[in-house]
Amino acid sequence: MPHGRDGLNKRAGEEISSADPFEEDVLALIPALRRYSRSLARSDTDGEDLLQDCVEKVLTRRAQWRGVNLRAWVFTIMTNLYRNGRRRRAQHPEVELDETLGLRAEENNADPLERQRLLRALERLSADNRAVLMLVVIEGYRYQDVADMMEIPVGTVMSRLSRARRQLAEAMKDDNVIALRRPK
Amino acid sequence: MSADFETVSDDDLHAYVDGHLAQPERERIESWLEKQPAKAEEVRQWQAQATALKQHFASYARSGEEDRSLISARRKSRSTGWASAVPTLRRLAAGLLIFAAGALAGAYGPDLVAPPPESADASEALPRQAQSAFLIYASEVRHPVEVGASEREHLATWLGKRLDYGLKIPDLSSLGFSLVGGRLVPVNDTAGAMLMYEDVTGERLTVLLGRNPENRETSFRISSRGEVETFYWIDGEIGYAVTGEVPRALLQKVADECYRQFEASESS
Repeated sequence: MPHGRDGLNKRAGEEISSADPFEEDVLALIPALRRYSRSLARSDTDGEDLLQDCVEKVLTRRAQWRGVNLRAWVFTIMTNLYRNGRRRRAQHPEVELDETLGLRAEENNADPLERQRLLRALERLSADNRAVLMLVVIEGYRYQDVADMMEIPVGTVMSRLSRARRQLAEAMKDDNVIALRRPK
Repeated sequence: MSADFETVSDDDLHAYVDGHLAQPERERIESWLEKQPAKAEEVRQWQAQATALKQHFASYARSGEEDRSLISARRKSRSTGWASAVPTLRRLAAGLLIFAAGALAGAYGPDLVAPPPESADASEALPRQAQSAFLIYASEVRHPVEVGASEREHLATWLGKRLDYGLKIPDLSSLGFSLVGGRLVPVNDTAGAMLMYEDVTGERLTVLLGRNPENRETSFRISSRGEVETFYWIDGEIGYAVTGEVPRALLQKVADECYRQFEASESS
């Protein structure tokens, strides 16, 4: 057994009573992580699964964290988990789960059908394009930050962002359930 | 504007949409967009997307009762046996902490992943009632309706009177569905109307109309129960629900057609 792993266990055991600062920092990131995981996932359940996998991985890998920018490190781990998951799913496609999203809580007063349309359109994006879009638009990362997190050139970030936006616009145009809305 | 102002790249447009630019740069792009209607439209779409995405996912950024246990569960599995080694008091304290976190989360927001609470909201009751009516009556072979299509005029007058609404029975023949007839059904505890249609293969659809006590408007919504799907909407005093076990695209066309015809009869 490598030395580091042993040391980790002991440390965790010792610090159990007082709040572990690392764990507290991860805990503080959970709301943002939950939002990011849901913005990537197909459903609320998938989003929570992704969140749990991410927290688990962050805690097991905590020895690998270099001590700077925990948030970016954790978001990178989630991004990679998501991309791997999508790849796995592509190999073993499941039956599409229809959630009748129109009936979900109307917590933000958005038109439920509009949201359904948006979520369906998001499903058409590739994993990479979707992750870039969400990191920029929802999580507010700069293009260079995204490039660093995903270890790609900033030009690739831009082309993915561009593709995501155009595909989304296209998909929203195709999927025009709302065409029958009253013109008032 | 001089010619060198004319160079705005796609990257600039993204940076503009994402709010990464300082004021002079924004102004340069805005004046460029004024002369580029196609690009301006695209930028407008991107901005609308960003707003919709932020609005939709914002509500997920909150803590849940289970957050702390996500971490402590992991810790337990990592260092097996710690629980027995740690004094009982400490474990109690940890438990209290989890409880406190839960109480806090409970105070600041309902559990995110739990399904929305059952509400007595009439707009949610409508699709359920429509699905029940469909399941009960569409499978009826001999008496699916009280008044058949041969008495179309009478059916409209009768149901319209009970509903206190100028009911015009939609004609769905353009979509391959002809009227079977209709019946009086309870909807939201008062008299409602159910119309039934079928195509040449005998595939049936129902259109349910009920009084809506809240008198408000919604856009189209969809609800499923097993294979049965319902498109429904509320327009002022009347709620409408189109239900069937047909492909969603077809059901949507039917809902569209019904909406169009009801709207036309209302304004006439």
